[in-house]
Amino acid sequence: MKKIKKYFSDFGTAVAKGDIWTKLSLVIMGAGYFGRKRFMKGLLLTLIEIGFFVFTFCFSWEYIAKLGTLGTVQRKEELDLVTFKKVVNDYDNSLLILLVGIIGLLVVLAFIALYISNMKAVYNAQKLEEAGKHVNTFREDLKELINKKFHITLLTLPSIGVLAINVIPIIFMICIAFTNYDKDHQPPTYLFGWVGLENFKILFSSGTTVSFGYAFPRILAWTLIWAAVATFSNFFLGIFLAKFINNKNTRLKKLWRTLFVITIAVPQFVTLLLIGKMFGNYGIVNTFCNNIGLTGFLQNIGLVSKGLSYIPFLSKPGWAHVMIILINIWVGVPYQMLIATGVLMNIPGDQLESAKIDGATEPQIFWHITMPYIMFIMGPSLITSIVGNINNFNVIYLLSQDYVTSNMKFANSNAQEIDLLITWLFRLTNEESNFKIASVIGIITFVICAVLTLLSYTRMISGEKEEEFQ
Amino acid sequence: MANKAVAKPKKKTVRIIIRHLVLTLLAAIWLFPIVWLVVTSFSGYSGINLTHFFPEEWTIQNYVNLFTKRTAACNFPAWFKNSFIIGACSCIISTSFVLMVAYAMSCMRFKARKGLMSFSIILGMFPGVLSMIAIYFVMKMFGLTNSIAGLIIVYSGASGLGFLICKGFFDTIPASLREAAKIEGASELSIFLKVVVPISKPIIVYTVINSFLNPWMDFVMARLMIRSKDAADWTVAIGLYNMLQRSLVGEYFSIFCAGGLMIAVPISILFVIMQKYYVEGITSGAVKG
Amino acid sequence: MKRRFMALVLTTAMAATMFTGCGESKTDSTTAATTAQNSEKADSTTAATEKTDAGSTDATTAATDPAPASTYPEAIQNLISATSGTVDLTLWCSETEAYQTVMAKLVDDFKATYPDVDFNITIGAVSEADAKDEVLNDVEAAADVFVFADDQLTELVNAGALQEIAATFTYDPATTNAASTVEAAKLDGKLYAYPLTASNGYFLYYDSSVFSESDVASWEALEAKAVESGVNVGMELSNGWYNYGFFAGAGLQMYLNDDGTTNTCNWNATDTTPTGAQVAEAVSNIAKNSSFVSMGNADATAAAANGTLKAFVDGTWDSGAFKDAYGDGYAAAKLPTFNVNGTDYQMSSFAGYKFVGVNAYSKNTGWAMLLGEFLTNESSQTQIGVATGEGPANTVAASSEEIASSPALAALAAQAAFANLQRVGGNYWTPAATLGQQLLEGVDDYQAVLDEAVLGITQ
Repeated sequence: MKKIKKYFSDFGTAVAKGDIWTKLSLVIMGAGYFGRKRFMKGLLLTLIEIGFFVFTFCFSWEYIAKLGTLGTVQRKEELDLVTFKKVVNDYDNSLLILLVGIIGLLVVLAFIALYISNMKAVYNAQKLEEAGKHVNTFREDLKELINKKFHITLLTLPSIGVLAINVIPIIFMICIAFTNYDKDHQPPTYLFGWVGLENFKILFSSGTTVSFGYAFPRILAWTLIWAAVATFSNFFLGIFLAKFINNKNTRLKKLWRTLFVITIAVPQFVTLLLIGKMFGNYGIVNTFCNNIGLTGFLQNIGLVSKGLSYIPFLSKPGWAHVMIILINIWVGVPYQMLIATGVLMNIPGDQLESAKIDGATEPQIFWHITMPYIMFIMGPSLITSIVGNINNFNVIYLLSQDYVTSNMKFANSNAQEIDLLITWLFRLTNEESNFKIASVIGIITFVICAVLTLLSYTRMISGEKEEEFQ
Repeated sequence: MANKAVAKPKKKTVRIIIRHLVLTLLAAIWLFPIVWLVVTSFSGYSGINLTHFFPEEWTIQNYVNLFTKRTAACNFPAWFKNSFIIGACSCIISTSFVLMVAYAMSCMRFKARKGLMSFSIILGMFPGVLSMIAIYFVMKMFGLTNSIAGLIIVYSGASGLGFLICKGFFDTIPASLREAAKIEGASELSIFLKVVVPISKPIIVYTVINSFLNPWMDFVMARLMIRSKDAADWTVAIGLYNMLQRSLVGEYFSIFCAGGLMIAVPISILFVIMQKYYVEGITSGAVKG
Repeated sequence: MKRRFMALVLTTAMAATMFTGCGESKTDSTTAATTAQNSEKADSTTAATEKTDAGSTDATTAATDPAPASTYPEAIQNLISATSGTVDLTLWCSETEAYQTVMAKLVDDFKATYPDVDFNITIGAVSEADAKDEVLNDVEAAADVFVFADDQLTELVNAGALQEIAATFTYDPATTNAASTVEAAKLDGKLYAYPLTASNGYFLYYDSSVFSESDVASWEALEAKAVESGVNVGMELSNGWYNYGFFAGAGLQMYLNDDGTTNTCNWNATDTTPTGAQVAEAVSNIAKNSSFVSMGNADATAAAANGTLKAFVDGTWDSGAFKDAYGDGYAAAKLPTFNVNGTDYQMSSFAGYKFVGVNAYSKNTGWAMLLGEFLTNESSQTQIGVATGEGPANTVAASSEEIASSPALAALAAQAAFANLQRVGGNYWTPAATLGQQLLEGVDDYQAVLDEAVLGITQ
């Protein structure tokens, strides 16, 4: 609070106590520098100012002005059948209004910040001059940028990238959650508008006709189970495999390692599609199982319903859940093995030696020395992979291509038992154009991931441990 | 275990045999789909073989088709070229972004640093699939859809967010190294370029590999950004994915397998060369990451 | 605005035939008035916005006078003279090689028809089934002309993606094509697409070396013979498009409401003969037979090729695969009957069509419409029919010898009497697929399952 107060009071002081050049900077941003013969810098700021006004008033303003309604004029077209000339009215495109409006507002905010800090800088320069001190030249400013202010140089481009590819789309999608953007309100032909919290109500209420309220908690639960199981199964199996290969009794360690690493080389989507086909209802694996009588055996013990002539590896809940986790192990363990091998090689040898001298058994060494060390090194990356698995689109999407749910309540909300939140919302946007509900789901996924991450990272961000090794 | 083994050498031999049998079994499971991929790519039957693991007819025609056939669904050389350009460019941009951000966050001290770090970590959590449509329209505003440049920007633009592992690595570089250079009058820029980057080979390799692989693997974003239905404009991932459409799979499945193997080639080469650094990169970063 | 189209159209003899059923008729005197009013509106909007160039404003004014019938041939001339520079058009059609080849040839023919104009026409590969998703993702970036399956018509029109075919210039689709295809391309009495094929429905492929003609007449006989011969028969039961045939065949209703988005469905009816539950049970019994398999097209063609599957419900797009698989035994028939409580019912089906649509956001609407027309005229339809094995919508083309002799098309023609126009709201497909899946796996309480499905379909 104090900081904010100071931020603005500094600005006030600058305006009040500034000399003519400083005050002139209120209108022409570069003036304060012109007055102190720093022409390059003055010119640069003035150009930025002009650029801003041109952008805002010639382009983004008309969108910002319509943000409140997201547009009112629907598209109408007329085709003249004699001349083939088409007349289209000046219609509003809600999507563009929202998007450009957001960008425009961000630009305005950025400009205001620049404007205020410029005033302060100009006032500072004035004070420096009054005190008879040196005011930095443009050249000196540039030098600062590769020295003390090097972080600004470093961060500018990446930040712009993150803004354009990440921040703006996220703000946009969060806004969509409060609109009625769906199949019946698709720009450019139709308009969509604000509806407040309506979509959240739809998702959390289990109405009679719309079963989003039914599907959501179930899919959320499976998403969390999946994330935990997929992450930990890969993690531990990867370590065990690495240990197993690294054991001194294993011959040809390199060969074994290579055999597993080969599977990484083929892109994931190729192997997943391939495995999906192999385990299809009429795929090659089912043909084998049928030939050796496994299908019949499973039917007899009740694992496969009698109505099916195949094992529903990827087409029934239960079966598909287990299969997907197994296939994910197939996909992920080689990576984990590779990493774990690296970690195992780095274990401080003296600790192991002294443990052996003390007569510790292999399992004891593993659980008391190796694992804590591995957890210490790879703990943080575990959290990253849990979050990665919550958003693991490829595995589920590529393996559920032939899946048809037999639960009508899922079907009515375009969901499937094996969907993760992320694949569900992909289906909702891509196939059903139901952007409003998808955005709500997206926000919830986001909150879950953010909480998880914050819990694990706060220590690291706030901690003083950074300097420990430096 | 070691003591027991000395006492009963016979049991030890049995154990070693069992150990290798288990490994063989595991390797067989892991290689099973890969072998299927390889043999099917040499299959004379163009669709999915539902009854036989090994093809009844062997041919290299699929590879010939893959490189020479130009149809609405097949133009592998063009895809390969596109993916390669995208991969190469976005890996250069991504790597520089990651190094830049990581250096700023690790080696420099400024007011907004911690705030920016928390912010960027939280940003990374938002489900990417959802913001895709918005990214598409942002790119459309700049006229960058349907172009290789657009995809490069999409893949590498936000890469700065992935600085954490790299920052962890930089954190382990002794501060004395940088201070010594500073005393000699080096600017931050030259410390970055001449002191820090040269000793960061593992982490650079790790970033390069990851960002190079992205365009070879991703088909969702690519399919959205590349609206063109002309096969020459696609990337490898879009093209191969397209081959498995209902109406094409019967004709193109074995070519798909051949294509899948062909993209494994550059990836394998990259891995073989860089494997050592890759592991080092992950683990050293993860020490603090 | 639309009224003005109507007005223009109604004053011309040529289009009069097309719009006879539309019921929004106006007398000539009111027409002129409405037209004038509307064009004034158009003028003021265009003037105020500066977005449209002055040329088009003039054009609107010029068109204020109701056009006499004879101006339509001049329309093309007008278009040619108004065209300068290269005309860029994109055409999306099926990704199969046969389609791509024949379309490339037709596009060349189109260019040759207008030698004075410089065209740059790109052909893209988009399956008719995916056209809607691709177009609606970003309608401004979609193709100018695209081929799509008729079930997408409502959604495309609802999203404003289709240019209304308010007039045609080189031939009249309403009279040259089979009436049912034109009806399917209309919504609220307005024509939105050019009919291309009339064969996008489904029927039964079978191997005549295994099954006789009387075997394929009913599911019961078919399955009995299949069990006896140790082969499989089937259809994709877990797909609303196919399993509709059973319920509709037994006289139950499922159709799109007038609002254009929701459905009416009485598959759970208890007061009909037979009741919904009885039909569902009959379907489930068919599916329980040991010879019955439910699989997708891709699996089915593969299974036919390796000799296990000897009869399958599918459409013309797979005719090549079944021909190769069954060799001399290759045959096709209308869908079998099925028995509910002792009565045989003929299985119904969706009559499927493929249309050529013009993107409402095309920058070259005129040329796009002319290309759409060209691709669907009699000669083009014949060439497409010959190349792809699909049945043309054009009646003359459909009766040409090469096409009419195909067993698949003959089977479709036999099925046509039992086929229904596909007017279905988007909420039908997922619940119907799930219903099929449930019947396949077997259920205890048919009524409950149907109630739930109907709830989803009609939501």
